[in-house]
Amino acid sequence: MSILEYNGGCVLAMAGKGCVAIASDLRLGSQAQTIAFDKSKVFKLNDQCFIGLPGLLSDSQTFVDKLKFRTALYKLKEGREMQPSVLSHVTANMLYQKRFGPYFIEPVIAGLDENGDPFISAMDLIGAPVFAKDFVLAGTSSESLYGMSESLWREGLEPEDLFEVISQALLSAFDRDAVSGWGAVVHIITQDEIITRKLKARQD
Amino acid sequence: MARRYDTRTTIFSPQGRLYQVEYAIKAIQNAGTAVGILTKEGIVLAAAKMVTSKLLEQKGTSEKMYIIDDHLCSAVAGITADANILVDYARRNALQYKFRYGEPIPVESLIQNICDLKQSYTQFGGLRPYGVSFLLAGFDKHYGFQLYKSDPSGNFGGWKATSIGPGEQQADSLLKNEYDEDISLENGLQLALKVLSKSMDTTQIEADKLEFSTISLNDREQLEYHLLTENEIADLVASADLEPES
Repeated sequence: MSILEYNGGCVLAMAGKGCVAIASDLRLGSQAQTIAFDKSKVFKLNDQCFIGLPGLLSDSQTFVDKLKFRTALYKLKEGREMQPSVLSHVTANMLYQKRFGPYFIEPVIAGLDENGDPFISAMDLIGAPVFAKDFVLAGTSSESLYGMSESLWREGLEPEDLFEVISQALLSAFDRDAVSGWGAVVHIITQDEIITRKLKARQD
Repeated sequence: MARRYDTRTTIFSPQGRLYQVEYAIKAIQNAGTAVGILTKEGIVLAAAKMVTSKLLEQKGTSEKMYIIDDHLCSAVAGITADANILVDYARRNALQYKFRYGEPIPVESLIQNICDLKQSYTQFGGLRPYGVSFLLAGFDKHYGFQLYKSDPSGNFGGWKATSIGPGEQQADSLLKNEYDEDISLENGLQLALKVLSKSMDTTQIEADKLEFSTISLNDREQLEYHLLTENEIADLVASADLEPES
């Protein structure tokens, strides 16, 4: 068993037209046993940046606290919010600092930059980033998520359509995974608002 | 006589004085005055800028006012470069507390930490003290709105109304007479303007030489920091109907 599979969980992010969506399942487990079904892996850092941190929950929580420290200090010193592309770089840097004793998380970043353009990126646990135009994902259901996203995603999706696509992709993918699921949460981020919805799913 | 005992911070004079610390306190007199007023609705900080020139490009930065955290702000007087270091220290300190304990740092804890740092420069290392006095304004769930003043020695105290900088004696005596605990935030701003202008050397009050900030609870019961815009300061000055110093 890999430590990255201990708690279970997955995150998916997609880019649409002038919007991004990021979603995660809600399960927290201790290997086979389910402990909670209200643990989202997606965290809001500011109105522009969301980060999903699937993997070992303990490391997710610690890492997001560290990121909150960094984004708050950045805002005080620079007098502006941290942009998603910068956050991506900072995250990768922080992870590589622990190259030989890493955080067991695989971050997924989604947000809109100051011009309103969608930005999504993901990286491995030691900070190797990937920047995509379509979708990024991580977690125990990653293979199924790749399949679903590749099939369902198309360019130029409006917020409501993006919501449908990301929800179906996530739901179908984590249903095939024993340690993910138990409900999901989806955030749709546009220039004007952030809509958060909970999805009803098979509770198994 | 003082010459023998004033070049190092780490020695006392025979009279029991620390000359370097005293000289650091004197350095504050070369900066602009700052005033702080505590009201039940929030805290007013007002400051006079020293560096004013039409050529100065000062978007987004302030000479006197600094936000430390969501619930804390400060006005500084003294050597600006030293103040920048201390403000950065204060910001990190406040965020580290939040990281460690999951809640905002109590105002008194932060001023204590800043002052402990300042004090260490009066006793260890042989380095000169920071030439900065702070007015720290903040809110926490323990004591509500609080105002603290600190000086280069590392001493601090909690105040209802006080000032730092060259006009502090005049400002403090005026505040003693005019301050009332039940003053509103709005009147606090007026009082701060009056006190600041009376303690300044100039006869004319120019809006672009002043900075005002408030920290208070807004209608949604959220803590809000507001740095007054040039227009708002101009309105404040206009409505204050100030008499020029004779």
